[in-house]
Amino acid sequence: MALLSVSDISVSIGRLTPLDRIAFSIDPGEIVGVVGESGSGKSLTAMAVMGLLPLIGGKISGGSVHFAEFELTTLTEARYRALRGRRVALISQNPMTSLDPVRRVGEQIDQVSMMHLGLGKVEARARSVEMMQQLRIPEAKIVHGNYPHQLSGGMKQRIVIAMALVANPELIIADEPTTALDVTIQAQIIQIMTEMARARNVALMLITHDMGVVAQACDRVVVLYAGRVAEMNTVDAIFADPKHPYTKSLIGCIPVEGLPPGGLKGIAGNVPGVLNYPKGCRFHPRCTRAIARCGDEVPLLRASGAGTVACHLAEVSA
Amino acid sequence: MTTPLVSMHGLSRAFVSSKGMFGESRTMRAVDDVTLGLPAGKVTGVVGESGCGKSTLARLALRLIEATSGSVSFDGVELGGLGPAEMRQIRRRMQMVFQDPYSSLDPRYTIADSLLEPFAIQGLMPVGATRKERVAELLDMVGLAQSTASNFPHQLSGGQRQRVGIARALALKPQFVVLDEPTASLDVSIQAQIIELLERFQQQFGLTYLFISHDLSLVRYFCNQIVVMYLGRIVEVMAAPDARPQHPYSRALLESTFAPDPAKRRIVQPLGGEIPSPFALPPGCAFAARCANVSERCRRERPALADTDAGGRVACHHPNR
Repeated sequence: MALLSVSDISVSIGRLTPLDRIAFSIDPGEIVGVVGESGSGKSLTAMAVMGLLPLIGGKISGGSVHFAEFELTTLTEARYRALRGRRVALISQNPMTSLDPVRRVGEQIDQVSMMHLGLGKVEARARSVEMMQQLRIPEAKIVHGNYPHQLSGGMKQRIVIAMALVANPELIIADEPTTALDVTIQAQIIQIMTEMARARNVALMLITHDMGVVAQACDRVVVLYAGRVAEMNTVDAIFADPKHPYTKSLIGCIPVEGLPPGGLKGIAGNVPGVLNYPKGCRFHPRCTRAIARCGDEVPLLRASGAGTVACHLAEVSA
Repeated sequence: MTTPLVSMHGLSRAFVSSKGMFGESRTMRAVDDVTLGLPAGKVTGVVGESGCGKSTLARLALRLIEATSGSVSFDGVELGGLGPAEMRQIRRRMQMVFQDPYSSLDPRYTIADSLLEPFAIQGLMPVGATRKERVAELLDMVGLAQSTASNFPHQLSGGQRQRVGIARALALKPQFVVLDEPTASLDVSIQAQIIELLERFQQQFGLTYLFISHDLSLVRYFCNQIVVMYLGRIVEVMAAPDARPQHPYSRALLESTFAPDPAKRRIVQPLGGEIPSPFALPPGCAFAARCANVSERCRRERPALADTDAGGRVACHHPNR
């Protein structure tokens, strides 16, 4: 039974509909990657699940989101608030958007368990330090008393992860958690996050534009393009046999060992903005294999092997 | 190896930070004693993490900032000894593409104005109809629509702006181009487009590139020679892109890069410790505190760059052979 199931949700902001019938699910303990270029709707999907759309004047205009025993689309803000931080946690790209610059980082972790688990100050502090140690923060007791500006970017991101994990949530949504970090630090953070998710049976929705991170960390992958799901499959199948031309092109954009000079191929053009979504398949203007039908008819998500794909060509070849 | 077009000798640049009215000033060496040749017609990549001095090195190579000590020569001419007029003359032959094309393009200039700026600065402004032709040629060369000429930077996407940045750098037909993280702020799909373009021009015009990046897999794809920097110093030079890294830091960089292939998943051996403050470098090897191969000697004695059997250079007492 899926812990989170997002069923055909559409998101509207004013008269615009940036997300169109997004559907995917995450099981407990599973790591699902959500990938796509900027403007594909990754972060908006996260905001929809977290119930944060009102902040940007948006709303879910169709579909449903089930999390554990809740239907999130009809949940009141008060009940949502009890879920956020306690059962669903968010890790954002820039740790400074989650940390208060004028409070000690340890207190900020303590606060989560005091608020959500009802712990007293002393217990909360012990729990925070233990959490920090598990995240391999050296000298956790000292760091507990530091302010954010005293810590490096990688260390701050670990504090944010500690805040996310300390209340034992069932689902963590991580939005580009390592994009702002150096590569050696990124590798550590990805390692720590996947280890923690597996060890605690936490479901992790990992939003990233980095196909290398996806291959390293995820069990399944949802590929978004211009506000729609292009393809969804297990990580092995996505990389071994991508069905959607967009998925294939995205993978081809990454230089790999032994690629001959001239072998790196970009994707022509740009992701269209929400005002300029093309008719039919939204990828067709950039697709090298597009046929006439692609410009007219929206391809539906159809089962293909273990996954699903929204492409007229995949249907023909299947 | 061909003769170097650009040679750097013992190049250093220190920055002084003042700690306010009563504090002591502190000095950091952003680039420390770099000796490096950039072979003509080849691509030299410089990789390293934030604060390793790679962008400072890029600016020193063009004498956009002055060196504290050491020298840079371009095609046999010592840059440090040139006056402003001579420097301007030689700048025609060396150009730079910046990381953020938005801040390197004047927001109030049309794209055509921006593309003509290098000609104006060099006193080579084409007159009459050739002016339009020049702009048209440049736009065409980097794959931008002719209508772009009358656009302003904010009307273009990041990838399009970077194409303008490249067209502008190549306008005066330079021999040497410094590329400072030209794709770091772009999506991978656009990054690959830009690299394709840079590759094509490098071949077509026989350009010499100095390519600065934090992405080792991109550097390994794109470059003929790879330089790894850590806290202002070169720790390794690899003579071939597929050479096996010998310095523990280069290896850590390589191991931190995830391949887009689930079959190549790995357990990352995390680098311990933190990058030391560039204001208070340890006396020995700067990487010692994080290194798995560390010995007592490393903490005492700074390793010199020495030639390797593979034709590269490595600064390590205990390299991984």
